[in-house]
Amino acid sequence: MTARTNNPLAQEPRYELISQVLRKNILNGVLPKGLVLLEGPIAVLMQTSRMPVQAALRLLADEELVHRFDGRGYLVGAVGAAPLRRDIGEFHLDIPQQVDDALQTRGTWKHFYDEVEEQVASCQVFGEFRIVETELAAYLGVSRTVVRDVLSRLQERGLIHKDNSSHWVAGPLTARTLREKFELRAIIEPAALRLAAPFIQYGQIEEMRDRIGADPSLKPEDLENALMEHCIARAKNTSLVEMIQNNQMLLTSVNRALTGLGLPEDAIALDQYRTLFDLIARHPIDSAAEYLRDHLHIMAAKNLARMKIVAVISEAVDFPPYLIVQ
Amino acid sequence: MAQSDATTADLAAPPQIKRRRLRVRGTSITLLKEVRERAQADLGFDVEYELLEFVDCQRMAALEPEAYDIYEQCFHNLDIVWFWGALQPIDTDRIQDWDKITDLSKTGGISKYAWRGHGDAPVRKLYVQPGGFLGPKQGRYISMLPTVHNMDSFGFDTRVFGKGDPRAPSWAWLLDRRAKGRIALVDEPAIGLFDAALAAEAAGELQFTDVSNMTIAEIDALMALLDDRRRQGYFCATWRNANEAAELVLQDRVSVQSMWSPVYSNMGKMAETFVEAAPIEGYRAWHGGASLSRHLQGAQLDLGYEYLNWWLDGYAGAVMARQGYYMSAPDRTKSALAPEEWAYWYEGASAARDLLGPSGGVVVKAGARRAGGSYQDRANRIAVWNTVMEEYNYAARAWARFVRRVNEVQK
Repeated sequence: MTARTNNPLAQEPRYELISQVLRKNILNGVLPKGLVLLEGPIAVLMQTSRMPVQAALRLLADEELVHRFDGRGYLVGAVGAAPLRRDIGEFHLDIPQQVDDALQTRGTWKHFYDEVEEQVASCQVFGEFRIVETELAAYLGVSRTVVRDVLSRLQERGLIHKDNSSHWVAGPLTARTLREKFELRAIIEPAALRLAAPFIQYGQIEEMRDRIGADPSLKPEDLENALMEHCIARAKNTSLVEMIQNNQMLLTSVNRALTGLGLPEDAIALDQYRTLFDLIARHPIDSAAEYLRDHLHIMAAKNLARMKIVAVISEAVDFPPYLIVQ
Repeated sequence: MAQSDATTADLAAPPQIKRRRLRVRGTSITLLKEVRERAQADLGFDVEYELLEFVDCQRMAALEPEAYDIYEQCFHNLDIVWFWGALQPIDTDRIQDWDKITDLSKTGGISKYAWRGHGDAPVRKLYVQPGGFLGPKQGRYISMLPTVHNMDSFGFDTRVFGKGDPRAPSWAWLLDRRAKGRIALVDEPAIGLFDAALAAEAAGELQFTDVSNMTIAEIDALMALLDDRRRQGYFCATWRNANEAAELVLQDRVSVQSMWSPVYSNMGKMAETFVEAAPIEGYRAWHGGASLSRHLQGAQLDLGYEYLNWWLDGYAGAVMARQGYYMSAPDRTKSALAPEEWAYWYEGASAARDLLGPSGGVVVKAGARRAGGSYQDRANRIAVWNTVMEEYNYAARAWARFVRRVNEVQK
C-alpha cells in the first residue's frame, strides 16, 4: 500500500524519520537545552500529522534526550533546565535531504490510511459515530481533499456510509453484522483453502503447528495471520482472496480493540489451530476445509459472546476527536 | 524472626492468627445482614459483603476477579462475567445437596410439560459445555450454583386501575394513558427493557418474533415507541434499587412501575394502595446464584465451597422467602420456615398471622394472600426470563440513552 519511490527512507515509518531529525538536532546543539517541544509546530514543520510526532517524542523521551515537565510538550535535555519557549521554526533545523524527500513523498492519503482505518473500525463496537471531515483534516494535518480520499477508501471497504443528512457515519457493529461476516467466512474461506492446496507453504504451517504450546508468546491472531498468509492467500483467485481480506478486516480490528480493553485471549482457539494446521499439513485438503468451517462456526459463537461483554464498557474510552458518538 | 531468641518474643506477643475470610461481591438481592451474620456464626470464618448495583456489579466482577471470592448475581449476566473469564467452574460433586435442587433450576421448567419461557432460563447458562460455552446439556461442572429466584411483574395504584377489576392486570398498563406522567421503569437493560417490551406487545403496539432475542429493527422500534411516550411525558423516573423504587411509591409519584418483591414490604401507608400485579401475559422471571472467582484455589477454594453448601442448607432460603424470593432447594427452606410462613410464601395460602420480614418488621398482615398464588402457579406462568440477548451491546446503549433523557427532564 506504500507509494513506491527510489528513496529507501520512504519505507521508514514517519515517526522514525521525525525522531532522526530531532535527535540529530538535539545532539548537535541546534535545539538548546530546555526548549519546549510542542507537537503542533513540529508537525507543521515536518508537513505531517501529529500522531507520528507524538510517537517520535515518546521515543526520544525513552532515550532521555527529552523529558516531560509540568506543562504541555517536552523539554530538550535532562531534567532541571528552565523551560525555553520559542518557535521551533527559528532554529533552522538541519534536515537531511533524503529525510526531507521521504517526508514529502508521504503527502498522500495512503500513508495514514491504516491508522484511520484501525480507529474507524474499532470504535464501532461502541455504537454509531459521525466522522467530522474538518476534524479529521486537522487531526491528520492534511487538506480536505486528502481526507476525502481516505473517506472514499473507507467507504469502498464497507467501513463507513453516509446517513440521510449526508454525514459520514461508522457503525454500529451489531451482532447481526458479526454473524453475517462469520457466515460468509465459513462459506468462502474453506473454498479458498481448497483452491490454495497446491500452493500452500506446508513447511511454514508445520513449523507454526509445532510452536503452538511450545511458544507462549504465540497468540490466536498470529495463527490466523499464518493461515491467511501461508494458505488462503495463496489461492490463485485474487477476487476471492480480496473478498476474504475485506470481510475479515472489521473483525480483526474489533478483535484487537477488545483484547486491548482487557478481554482474555482464547486458549481453546490455540488447540483448534493446532488441529487445523495438522490437518492441512497432512492432506487431503478436504478434511482441513471441513474443520475450518466448523472452527469458524465456533469462532462466530465466541465473538457474539464477546460482543455482549462490550456493553459493560461505557463510551468513555478515548476516541480521536474526529469521531463523535451519536 | 531469629530462632535463637524466639522464646521471649513469643511470650510477649499473643499469637497472631489471621482470621479466615471470604469476600462476597453481589447485589441487594442476596447480600443481607441477616444472611451474613448467620453464615459467619455457622461457618466460623469472616464473610465480607460488597454490595453493588446491578450493572456496576457485573462490570466490576468481570474486570476485577481478584477483588472477590464469591460472586452472587443473576444467571443472565453470566454472559458477561463468564465469558470474560472471571469465574471458575463449580464441581457439583462438591455440592452435597445438588440432588435437592429443583427442576426449574436444573432442567428449565417445574415439570416436564411446563412452558420454559423465552430467554435466559437458568438452565441455558448452567452447565459448562466443551469449548468453554454454557448450555443446558447436563454435566458435572456448572457456572453458578442456582439459589434464589422469582417471577417479577409490576405494581399498580388501585386508585387508578381499580381494586376489584375483573379484568386481570396487563403489562400494557406500563404504557397506559391513565398513568401518564406517573410511570417508572427499572433501569437495567436486561430487565427494564423486557418490562417495556412486554408492555409494548400487550398494548398491541409492537410484535416481537422472539421477545428475548430482538432484532436491531425490533430494538429500534421499541426504543422509538418509548421515546415517543417519553416526549409525551409518560415517564416520571427510572430506578436502580429497591430503595429508590420504594421512595417513588412512598412519595406517591407513580401509578404503575416495574417492581421487585421486597419493595412491597416497605411501603408503609401506601401498602393498601399500591399492589402487586399478576399479569395475564405472565411473569418476567429471574434466577440468582453464587459463583466462584477464577483465582480461588486450595484452602480458599474450600471456604468457597463451604459457603455455597451453606447457602442451600435452609437458613438463607428462609431469609430470602421473607422478602418474597424462592429458593432452588425448597425442601430445606421449608424446614427453616414456620408452617404459616411456608403456606403464605410458597403455597399461596392466606397468612394465618402477621408475618415478619428478614429484619423483624411485619411485612404481611394476617389474612393477606400473595398475588399470583402458589409457587407452582407462578412458575408455570413465566413469559420471559431476564436476558442478555444477542444484540445486548446495541440494546444496552440505546436503553442508556433513553434513561438519560427520562432523567434529564426530571432535573
